[in-house]
Amino acid sequence: MKLGIRNLAVSVFLGVVWGWGAMTLNSFTYAFPYEAGFLHNFITFSIGGAVFGVVVGGFIRLFGGLFPFKGRIPRAVAISVLLWALLLAGGFALSGMRPDRYHLITYQTIQGLMLSVVLGIFFGIFLSFDGK
Amino acid sequence: MERILEKDQILRALLPAVFVAFMAFSLIVIAYGLDTVAHGVHDTFHDFRHVIGMPCH
Repeated sequence: MKLGIRNLAVSVFLGVVWGWGAMTLNSFTYAFPYEAGFLHNFITFSIGGAVFGVVVGGFIRLFGGLFPFKGRIPRAVAISVLLWALLLAGGFALSGMRPDRYHLITYQTIQGLMLSVVLGIFFGIFLSFDGK
Repeated sequence: MERILEKDQILRALLPAVFVAFMAFSLIVIAYGLDTVAHGVHDTFHDFRHVIGMPCH
């Protein structure tokens, strides 16, 4: 299973587009009122999206063929949501240790879950991996 | 000659995995805003972290 420069580029591109999509979606849902300006967020959402995209894309390429169900989109969505859920689980742990600093907000969590599903769909459509 | 080729193959297989691992670590730093690891990352990615549903202050 090769990760490859092309797949890396696709992952970065999809991640950046997803980051912009997340920024746009939040502008409509208002789950979190932005504290920084547009330009700052444009850059940070692009970088954050790219990092998220590379990680999800890499995991999909490495483990996309291991799931017991068929179809590229379901497999990509499963990996994307699992990674997001793992991060969230870590967030729960942090919240337990430092409740004064870290707390979960339901609207944002639901929005994050939706975004991870969307990212999985993106990758299922556009990234080539073993997911017959 | 064969050993050189083997080394090259190992590097080719290993580098992407190391890169993804590095990016995964970066993602954790960004998602939790770990200022102790990268100074300023908490404030820089504050809005991004909230939008993707990660816990924050």
